[in-house]
Amino acid sequence: MYYKFSGFTQRLTGSAPSTAYVPQGLRPGIPAESPAMVFATPTKVVSEVGTTVEYLGANKVPDLQRIFQGNVMPVHLKMGVPDKLLYRTTMALTIGGTLYCLLALYIAAQPRK
Amino acid sequence: MARQAHAYHMVDPSPWPLTGATAALLLTSGLAVWFHYHSTTLMTLGLILMLLTMYQWWRDIVREGTYMGHHTPPVQKGLRYGMIPFITSEVFFFLGFFWAFFHSSLAPTPELGGCWPPTGITPLDPFEVPLLNTAVLLASGVTVTWAHHSLMEGQRKEAIQSLALTILLGCYFTTLQAMEYYEAPFTIADGVYGSTFFVATGFHGLHVIIGTSFLAGICLLRQIKYHFTSQHHFGFEAAAWYWHFVDVVWLFLYVSIYWWGS
Repeated sequence: MYYKFSGFTQRLTGSAPSTAYVPQGLRPGIPAESPAMVFATPTKVVSEVGTTVEYLGANKVPDLQRIFQGNVMPVHLKMGVPDKLLYRTTMALTIGGTLYCLLALYIAAQPRK
Repeated sequence: MARQAHAYHMVDPSPWPLTGATAALLLTSGLAVWFHYHSTTLMTLGLILMLLTMYQWWRDIVREGTYMGHHTPPVQKGLRYGMIPFITSEVFFFLGFFWAFFHSSLAPTPELGGCWPPTGITPLDPFEVPLLNTAVLLASGVTVTWAHHSLMEGQRKEAIQSLALTILLGCYFTTLQAMEYYEAPFTIADGVYGSTFFVATGFHGLHVIIGTSFLAGICLLRQIKYHFTSQHHFGFEAAAWYWHFVDVVWLFLYVSIYWWGS
C-alpha cells in the first residue's frame, strides 16, 4: 500500500505507487536515491496511460495544451474563427435581444384600449 | 509570457456573466410576454442565449483547467468549496417540498377526509416500479464509484465502460419515471396529494436528467478525450457528488412519499 498526503482532507490517503514518490504539490528538495534495480524478475513499468493507449481515439490533450498555452488571446477566443463566430452570434443576440425586450416591455406597459 | 509567482488563477475578462444575465432578463420577460400576448419569440430568444452562454462558459472552464493548467491544487480546493454550498442549497430546495408534504400529510385537514392519502386518491404501489427505481439508482451509485476508482487507478477502458453504465442506469430511471407518470391514477391537479407528489418527484426527475447530462454530455466525453488524469479529475468528482445527492433525495422521496405516504 502506498500513501500520499491529501491537501483537502489534510490526511494520508491511498495512492498509486508512481505518485507516492512524487506527491502532488511537493517538489523534492533533495534528489531521492533511486532504489537498487532488480533484474531477476521481468521489469514491470508502472504507467499512467496503461496498455489501452488507443482505446476510442488518440490523446490530443498535449497538442491542445501547446496551442492554448502559446496564445495571448482571451480564453473564449483562443481557437480562432469558430470561437469568434460563436462569440459574435452570442453578443449580437445579447444586444438585439435586450433592445427587443425593452420594446416589448414598453408596449406591455401601455394602457389597454 | 510573464511568469506567474503564485498558484492562483487570475481569470481573463469574460463576456459570459453579461450574456447570462441578459438571458435571464429575456427569459423572465419572455415568460411574461408569453402569458399576456401568447408570443414565445422573446422566451425562445432567451433560451437560445442561455444555452449559448452555458456551452461557452463551461467550455472555457474546461479550457482553463485541462489545456491551460490554471486548476492548480489551491484552485481545485476553491472549486470544491464552491460545489459544497451549491449542493447544500439544492438540499434546502428539496427540503421545502418535503416540508409542504409533511405539513399536509401529518395533520390532514377535514377537506381531505382527515386521512392520508386523501379520500379518493389511489396512490402508486411502492413495491412495484418505485422499488425497481430505488434499486436502479442505488446500482448507479455503485457504478459511479466503480468509475471513480477506475479513473484513480488509470484504468481508462474500465472508467469509460462504468461511466457509460451509470448513464444507462440514469436513462432507465428516467424512462421508468416517465412510464409511472403516464400510468398514475391521479394528476398534479388532484389536490394537495397530486401537487406535492408531482412537484417533489418532478423536480427530482429534472435533477436526474441534469445529473445524467453532466455525467454523459460532459464527463464521459471528457474522459474519452483524455481530459481526466488519475490525479486531477475534479469535474468528474463534482458530477459524482451531484449524482449521489440525487440518489439520496430519491431515498427520502421513496421512504416518505411513496412508502409512508401510501
